[in-house]
Amino acid sequence: MSAQVHQTSSLKEYFAALASGVFTSLKGMWITFRYVWAVKPVSIEYPEVREVLPDRARMRLFNDVQNCISCTQCAMACPVDCIYIASEKFPEGTEIKKTSNGQPIRLHLTQFTIDTALCCYCGLCTTVCPTECLTHSHDFEFSAYTIDQMKYDYLAPDIIAWRDRIVKS
Amino acid sequence: MQTRWDIGEPEKPTINQDTEQLKSELLVLNMGPQHPATHGVLRIEIWTDSEIVAHAIPHVGYLHRCMEKHAENIDFRGIIPFVDRLDYLAAMNMEWTYAAALEKMLGTEVPRRAELLRILTCELQRIASHLMAFGTYALDLGAFTPFLYAFDYREKILRLFEEVSGARLLYNYIWIGGLWNDWTNEQLERVSAFCDDMEEEAKKYHELVSMNKIFIERTANVGVMNIDDCLTYGASGPVLRGAGMKWDLRKNEPYSLYSEFDFDIPVGEAEHGVVGDCWNRYMVRMKEVVQSIRIIRQVIEKLEPGPIMGKVPKVLKLPEGEIYVRHECPRGELAFHLVTKQDEKMPYRLKVKSPCFTHVSMLPHVAPGQMIADFVATVGSIDIVLGEVDR
Repeated sequence: MSAQVHQTSSLKEYFAALASGVFTSLKGMWITFRYVWAVKPVSIEYPEVREVLPDRARMRLFNDVQNCISCTQCAMACPVDCIYIASEKFPEGTEIKKTSNGQPIRLHLTQFTIDTALCCYCGLCTTVCPTECLTHSHDFEFSAYTIDQMKYDYLAPDIIAWRDRIVKS
Repeated sequence: MQTRWDIGEPEKPTINQDTEQLKSELLVLNMGPQHPATHGVLRIEIWTDSEIVAHAIPHVGYLHRCMEKHAENIDFRGIIPFVDRLDYLAAMNMEWTYAAALEKMLGTEVPRRAELLRILTCELQRIASHLMAFGTYALDLGAFTPFLYAFDYREKILRLFEEVSGARLLYNYIWIGGLWNDWTNEQLERVSAFCDDMEEEAKKYHELVSMNKIFIERTANVGVMNIDDCLTYGASGPVLRGAGMKWDLRKNEPYSLYSEFDFDIPVGEAEHGVVGDCWNRYMVRMKEVVQSIRIIRQVIEKLEPGPIMGKVPKVLKLPEGEIYVRHECPRGELAFHLVTKQDEKMPYRLKVKSPCFTHVSMLPHVAPGQMIADFVATVGSIDIVLGEVDR
């Protein structure tokens, strides 16, 4: 059991402690009071004023499906398994398209869904992507009412339409 | 009295002679899991006699996320985001300890620039963590403004980390074999500017809080963890140094490049109370901030351009064996015990030795005889992070 130190003080010591308590507190209050005119406010009034995010900021994932070659490397690297990919072979005789960095697209991507409710924004999937189509966008305001709405299907037409807004330039 | 932990009955349930004659009963009070003074989801069952704590039993496990078991099913690189979430206030140090364990096992040579930048980021993280400890400790004791000052400066560090790694809290920045991204010269200049500001700011904190008579009265002679208790329980970090023992792994068992740096280990001195009380633990943290600034300045002088990633195979397969690596984190010695099997992509076992768990287990020893308000001061002074206690 730890020993408690009980101190008894005389009347003089009592008032000396009281005075020093008031004095040191006033000193601290003076530091705070200086903030009235000497220091600029540091708070950012968020919805009206927004900070510019750094280039490397890792926000919602975005997959540019036109460049995706269905290699599933991102799904394998994901530590929480939140990327769902499905693909099938092209019918014979189809012309093989190429991605923007020249890789042939041999498989037809039928599903590319990311469950953002599971995603931990670690960025491991973007580092393994060979065509650099999977990137972190700067979009962080995507709260939803149900957990199903957090699943993003990147083949859906509305997300493809938003591409210009959420892709990092 | 029934206790769930076998820590012995309190020798004397009441320490107040008058109430003992009245045969008063002990009152059970639950502090937590949602209590601001417990810094997370820690429940402390307190048996009180009027306002005096007779017995305190911490109940941990409210933030248990099966991290150790989960790590056995993920590849080595994928564990890093989970390791971040152990001590979420000092995620860089957690990553470094884990990466160091794997590098030691692989025998990877980490480039010099990467090692120096790791020291830089981890010392910045130590400052951020201690600022958080300082702010919330003042908040526990009823001072609100120091918390805002501390967060203002912590925010500057987090902003730097966000620019360099992409995230503010859970970075996944220190990788096996090196670092993810390099720091630019402009960012390093901002770090040295921050160091100059922080030194001035630390003086302000001393004037604002450390020298305040009310703060001293609340913390000096309160919650004394003397050196014998610390060694018996296995405490480390600021708790051990606050008790007067000069033990810091960065100095005593230098890992990485710490042997090249010139810095002191602050220890607790009986300035206002006895050695090992809350004031000493608080003061050790504040002095460590200044020492970290010294290290950061030396790192910036030594930095030279170079690679930041060593040679690591794309698919990690470790040899069979086990390793125990410990590093000095802001809260004490954190260690990873890693056991691997031949040609497995996942660890066989990953055991985390967390300093906060040790410190929480010291609470039942310190608490008896304290006032409840002093008990809050004691819990705040050991600076626990429940993510690390429960894992």
